[in-house]
Order: sequence, then C-alpha cells, then structure tokens
Amino acid sequence: MMRIRLLALVVSAFVLEAGGPRVVEVGAVARDGRVYVSSVVSNDLVEELGDAIQSGLTTTFTYEVALRRPVSIWFDRTISEASVAVSVQHDTLTRRYQMSRSVDGRVDDSKVSEDKADMRRFVTSFDRLPLFGTQDLEPNVEYYVRVRVRTRPRTAWFFWPWGRDAASGVARFTFIP
Amino acid sequence: MPWTRGSTTSLRAPSSGAPPAPPRARRPFRDNPLQVLLGIFALIAALAGMMTLLYRSSRLAPDFLSEFVLYSLSIVDLTMLVGLVFVLARSVIKALVERKRALPFARYRAKLVLALLGMTIVPAVLVLLVGSQLIFNSVDRWFNAPMDEMLESSQRIASDYYHERQRQVSEEAARLARTLGPMDLAAADLGPIRNALAAPVNDRRLTLVEVYRIGAGDDGTPQAVPVVDVASAAAAGSVVSHASSERLATRAAAGQPDTWTREPLDSGGELIRTAAVVRKPDGTAAGIVVGSVELTGEMALRARRMTKAYESYTQLRVLKRPLTGVYLSFFLMVTLMILVSATWMGLYLAKRITRPVRALEAAAREIGAGHFEYRVERETADEFGGLVDAFNSMTDELATSRRRLEQSSIDLQRKHAEVEERRRFTEAVLDRVATGVITIDASGRVGTMNPAAARLLNLDPAVVGQPAATVFAGPDLQPLAAMAAAAPIPGREWPTQEISLNHGGREVQLALAATPLHGDGRTLEGRVLVVDDVTPLIRAQKVAAWREVARRLAHEIKNPLTPIQLCAQRLQRQFAAAPDPVRALVDECTGTIVGEVDSLKALVDEFSQFARMPAPRRVPTDVHRLLTSTLGLYEGLFQQVRIQTLFAVSLPPVRLDADQIRRVVINLVDNAIEALNQRGLIVVETRHDAAMGVVRILIADDGPGIAPEERDKLFMPYYSTKKRGSGLGLAIVRRIVAEHGGTVEVGPNEPRGTRFTIELPCGDGEMPPVAEVT
Repeated sequence: MMRIRLLALVVSAFVLEAGGPRVVEVGAVARDGRVYVSSVVSNDLVEELGDAIQSGLTTTFTYEVALRRPVSIWFDRTISEASVAVSVQHDTLTRRYQMSRSVDGRVDDSKVSEDKADMRRFVTSFDRLPLFGTQDLEPNVEYYVRVRVRTRPRTAWFFWPWGRDAASGVARFTFIP
Repeated sequence: MPWTRGSTTSLRAPSSGAPPAPPRARRPFRDNPLQVLLGIFALIAALAGMMTLLYRSSRLAPDFLSEFVLYSLSIVDLTMLVGLVFVLARSVIKALVERKRALPFARYRAKLVLALLGMTIVPAVLVLLVGSQLIFNSVDRWFNAPMDEMLESSQRIASDYYHERQRQVSEEAARLARTLGPMDLAAADLGPIRNALAAPVNDRRLTLVEVYRIGAGDDGTPQAVPVVDVASAAAAGSVVSHASSERLATRAAAGQPDTWTREPLDSGGELIRTAAVVRKPDGTAAGIVVGSVELTGEMALRARRMTKAYESYTQLRVLKRPLTGVYLSFFLMVTLMILVSATWMGLYLAKRITRPVRALEAAAREIGAGHFEYRVERETADEFGGLVDAFNSMTDELATSRRRLEQSSIDLQRKHAEVEERRRFTEAVLDRVATGVITIDASGRVGTMNPAAARLLNLDPAVVGQPAATVFAGPDLQPLAAMAAAAPIPGREWPTQEISLNHGGREVQLALAATPLHGDGRTLEGRVLVVDDVTPLIRAQKVAAWREVARRLAHEIKNPLTPIQLCAQRLQRQFAAAPDPVRALVDECTGTIVGEVDSLKALVDEFSQFARMPAPRRVPTDVHRLLTSTLGLYEGLFQQVRIQTLFAVSLPPVRLDADQIRRVVINLVDNAIEALNQRGLIVVETRHDAAMGVVRILIADDGPGIAPEERDKLFMPYYSTKKRGSGLGLAIVRRIVAEHGGTVEVGPNEPRGTRFTIELPCGDGEMPPVAEVT
C-alpha cells in the first residue's frame, strides 16, 4: 500500500507538473507601429487555482509572449519577447480581490473588486496590449505571436524544472505596414 | 609518495636500476585528514541547517516553503542523486575494469563496497518508506472536517461583521449625502452642514464624518476639496489620516465603484470608511461625504486573527502536496546523505584497506624483479603502518643479503677462475710431465689419469671412472691395485715401490708412490698414485757404476801391465843368447805375455775412454748432412751390403755434437754389417715428430735379429754377443745419446732383423745457423 502510494505520488507529481494541453486564444494586430496582443485563457485554469486564490495566497498568471518569425527547416526565430504577469490576492475578511497587471515588470493596471467574475476576466485575459514595436518587422512577411502561461503557486509534489506550460496558444499575422 | 603507479601506490623511487618514478600526484581528498574533517564538519553543518530549517518550517510561509524551500531541496536531492549514481556507476565500471585486468584485490574491494552499500541501503530505504508514510499520515491529520467548519465559520463571522459595519457606514453616508444635497457646500456659513453631520456622530453611528466639495483639478479631473468634518470625542483622541479619506473621496468623485476602505489606527483598531456622492436636486455631483466608523482594537485584532488562521489553514490545504513534498524531500535528502556517505565510506575503507596491501604487492613484485631499492612509504600509524615497516625492514635485509651474496658470488667466481686456471695449469703440467699421476677417489674409482701414466702403465685413458681394482687387475699392476686399496697409515705415508713392466719386449722400471688426499675433516677422500719411469735413472746408475769399475780397472790393471811387459821383454832379451829350445820357449812365453799385455792395455784404454768420455759440445746441426757424410765412409767397402737412406722431407736443426753422433751412427752401422755377415740391406731412416719435439734416426738391418731377452742387456757395458769386442760399444752409444737428452731403443725390424731408434730432442724455437759437418 505504501509503495503504491509512493508510486502514485511520483507519477501524479510528473503529470501535474507537466500540465494539460490547454489552449490560449491569442489575437495579434499590427497597427500604428505597434503589435497589439490579446489573450484569453479558459476559466478552467482559474478553477484549478480557485482554492489557492480564495485562501489569500498571491496567485500569479504569467503570460510569456514571444513575437516570432517562422523559419523553414530550422528553429523559428524570436523577434522579441514580453512578459505579462497578472497577480491576484483575495482578502478573505473584506471579500475583495486585489488585482494587478505588469508588463515586463512595469505595473500596467491594478484593480480592486469584490466580483469574482471580474477577477476571472482580469486574470485570464488581456486585451490589445501594445507589447512589441513593428520597426523590426519586414513588410508582407508572416509572423506569429506565441503565448505561454505559467501559474504560481505550484501545487505539485516535487519541483520539476522541466515542467510544461499550463497553457499555450499562437496567433499568426502578416505584417502590412 | 614515492614511486607511484598510480595515484594510490606508495613506493619510493629507486636509486638505480629501476623504472623512473612518475611525478607525484596531488594527494586525494580522502587522504587529507584536514579535508576529511572539513567535509565531515560541512556534512554536520548541512544536517544542522536542515534540522533548523525543519524546525522552523512551521513558522515559514507556506508559499515560501512550497516554492523556495521545495525548489532548493529538489535541486539538492537531484544533485545528490546524480552524484550518487555517478559514484556508483564509476565504482561499478572501475570494478569491472579492474576485474577484467585481474588487478589484485579488485573482487575484494567490490565485495566490501557492495557489503557496506547493502548494509546501508536496506535500512535507509526502510526508514524512507516508514518516514514517508508517517509524513503522509501527519499531513492528512492536519485537515479534517470539524477544523474546516470551525475555521470557516469563524472567518465568516468576522467577515460578516465587517460587511455589516461597512453596510451601516455606507447607508449613513448615503443618508447624509441626501441631506446635504440641497445645501451649498461652497457657502461661507458651514453651520447648517455641521449641524446635519453632528447627529450621527453624536448618536455614535459614525465616528467621523468628512465633507468634500468637488472641484476641478489642473488637468480637468474632478478634485475633492475638504469642506468640513465632524468627529466624535473618541476619534478626537486618535490620529486620523485625512489622506486616505481624500483619496477615497477623489475616487468617488471620479465615479469609481470602489467606494470604501479600511485604515489601521495607532490604537490597534481600524477605521472603516465609506464615500457617498452629494448630488444637487438637479442630479449633478456637488460633493462627497466620507463616513467613518471605528472598530476597536480588540475587535479588529480578533477578526484579523480569525481571518489569518483561516487563510493559513486554507493555504496549507492548497499547498498540501508541495508541503508534503518538502518534508519528503527532507527525508529523501537525509537518505541520500546516508547513501552517499556510506558509498564514500565504503570506497574509502576499501581503498584504505587494499591500497597498502596493493602497494606491498607491487613492491614485492618489484623486489622479486630485483629492484631491492624499492620502499613502501608508511602512510598511517596503525597496523598497516607496522606491516609496511616490517616489509621495508625485510627489504633492507634482502638488499643487504643480496649485496653480500653478489660479493660472495664475485669472490667465488674469482676463486673459481683461479682454481680453473690452476687446474688448467696443473692439467697442462700433468699432460707434459713424464711422471704418471693417477687419482683414485674415495669410492676406489680412477678419477683422473694423465697421458704419462697411461703411457707408462700401458693403459687406455678410457679407464677413467672404472674401479681401480679392475684397471690394475693385471699381474704386473698388482702393486698399484694394492696401493689403491691400502688403508692409510696414521702419521706416515705409504712406502714407495718399484715395479718392472715389459712394454713390447722392453723392460721398464717404474717407481710407485701414493699420497692420501684428505678432506676438511681429515677424512680420506682419495689418493694420488705417482708413477715415475726410473729406467734411465737405473741405467745411468749402472753406467756410472760401470764407469767407476772401468776407471778402477784401468787404474788397477794398467799399472802392473807395464812392469809385466818390461819384465817379459827383459826375459826375452836375457834369454836371447840361450839355447834355441829355451830361447824358443822364452820367446814364445814372453811373446804371449807381451801380446796379452798389449790386449789388456787396449782393453784398459777402452775402459778408460768409456770412463772419461768428454761432455758433448752441442751445436745446431743438419742431421741429413751428418748422416750422408757418415754413410759415405762405407761406400765401396762392402760389396754385398747395401745402405739405403729414407730421409724425411725436412728436419729441423738439432743441437748435437757431430763427432759423437757420427760415432754413434758408425757404431750401429758397424754392428749391423757384422750382424749381416757383410751381406744384406741396411736402412737408415729419419723422422720428425713435431708433437713430441724429437727427431728420430732409425737404423735397421735384415739380419738374424736379437732375442728379446737380450735387447736391454745390449746397452750394458761389457756385454756383447760377438766373440770379439769389449762390450762397450752400445754402452757408449747409449751414453752419448743420453748426454744429448735423447734415447736409444732397440727392437725387431719388420719383416726381420734389428732396428735401433735414436730420439734426439729438437728445439721448436729459432736456432742459430747450422754448423758445417765435415
């Protein structure tokens, strides 16, 4: 029994750390010299972290956004990268959610709300954030924006440094100046 | 470390004759006591730190534990696991390689390490399993339904209380905003406004009421401008910040939905503040009313504690798995520490035990190969150190013994060479000397026999090794057999004996002497028989005796002969006038006396000549020319005697007295002519025996020959087979030849007749010019 439990512990640690293949809906638009990125991840991710949020732990959703150019028969080239970190902390006494969003370490938005749906929207999506400039893009060339989501705190048994992303998605666009 | 074959071998470099010592390797960690102590100290410190962390883990934030601590422990665990696997894999591979190369103690080391690992792994894994189960059980017991319900209820009470007070403050602020709606907030007289605000404060429904007028800021945004505030007596004693109130009023003026806030007070309590918009009758926003109510310190503290307890509890539940992982990681780390330590200790002990033995074995191999200068360095003061010292002492003694042995061997070789040289010298001497030497070993067998002995005793050299009794079984050699078997006489030597042997009809006189050979313990190890040919000596003695006899005879007889002859002649003269018969008788008698006296005188002269023969004047001479001139004297004298010469192709010059040798040849040829009765063949032959260093002159006739028993007597003085003669001719011949260092022998001629053989020594060295022979 004890062995089975240990084996289950190890297996579940790997599986949970590896994460399921959730899809992030990503949108990208190049306009006015900027690349605007929108992202929406399913509420399942919030539901999984619901207990963590409600317990008052500071919960963070980190969106690793990369602007990339496809390269045939080789690795795609990364043009630029940005990190969007959304954190939420629930005050169990006042029942309010304190939310903040930072882009590359710079606070972009903050919000206090008692509405859980509002909190879900805030942490699972961002809309038309100007994350990249178009000065490095070539006209009429296809690019894509890849968004990978990581969450904290971890709830796995062990720390596994090569764990998969909680969710990921891609949006392609052709840069037309 | 001296001469190392590796990083662990401890041999000092030899001084010479050995392979060069490799450069000294850096001392490994395990052999450095200071580093080992530091390592143990670091391990203990790590354990202490881990225990401290474990002890304080209950006070650390759960997310800190689940993030940083779990991360650190996982890294450490992974590192130790990788290290352990690496060390084990390296040890296994090394053990396999050493076993394949048949290195000594490879299996022993592998067994030792495996035994220590087995003794450690089993209990460590058992402790890990049991400890893990304990952790699971303990964590499960943290969370249970009653605790969940109690904490959730208490938290809900506190939260509901907060919400109720916030709702009350909001309703009061909204009522005041409706009251102030018709009033001019910008009026100079604030009395009506203050009166309107005083009622809820006085009724303790609010602790503080603040009124702001909405103005426009520099950027056109709404700006809250303080108008008036009314505070209760309790609030007047506390330091209340108006900044948070202004921010709240500004947010409300901007239309933001978040219109309430909490503010901690110095007294430990909290201030709940709510903003409400004051609208004019036309609906436009004119100002902001911020109502505040104070929660006492005790109340706020209890509510916060209840909330904190609930949050901690729920956070623990959320982080149950990573927290369990933290404690499991602790356990795993301890287990890995034990395993790593056990592995290292096993390897260390294995090397500690086997390395000195390996070093000793390697040193033994080197010493076995002759490198006696090798030494094993003592590394420890324990029993292995004593073993190394004993080994080094043994090596020292071996080296000393080796040096002594080598010196003894050199001495022995030198002595052997000396003995061998002496033996060769002795052998050469024995081969050359005319004295026969025979050694008889302790078992009575013939050990050695030189050529002279074989020649004198007429024995085959192959008899060496045969029993002396068998070799000397002949009747003539019985005295030798008796000497070979005679028991030693204490304090005396065996008496010498003389024997006479017949070699092909020639009588040889031999003198025998025996000498015992004693070993170190005076034990008889054999004997040496010495055989000397004393025939020439005896002959010489006889000749000397005869010479003395001849001299005396000549002296004693010759003296009275003259008076006798004178008396006889006187009688003859006295009776010359006597009558004829008397005179005839006297003449006859005196004539007979005088004639016999003359004969006696001639005989005495020959004896005198034999006794007083002069010493030869030896000069290098051509023998062929001498023989040719001598034989030329007989040409035409005897018609029926033919003298044939068979000369050797070449002869070396021989040192001789030509006149004396000529006399010898004439004497022998005369004897041969007489033996032939002046009819027959005489052969004069010469031979050169370079090996013996002699020149032989052979004079043979085909006459009737000489009986064997008379041959040796021929050379005796006064012995003759002729009716006439003094019997001194052959005696003189032998004497002349003997005084030339040669020999003369007589033997039968083939097919008939007699043959005389003269041997004259000829020098092999360079000789002066040959003397002219006349």
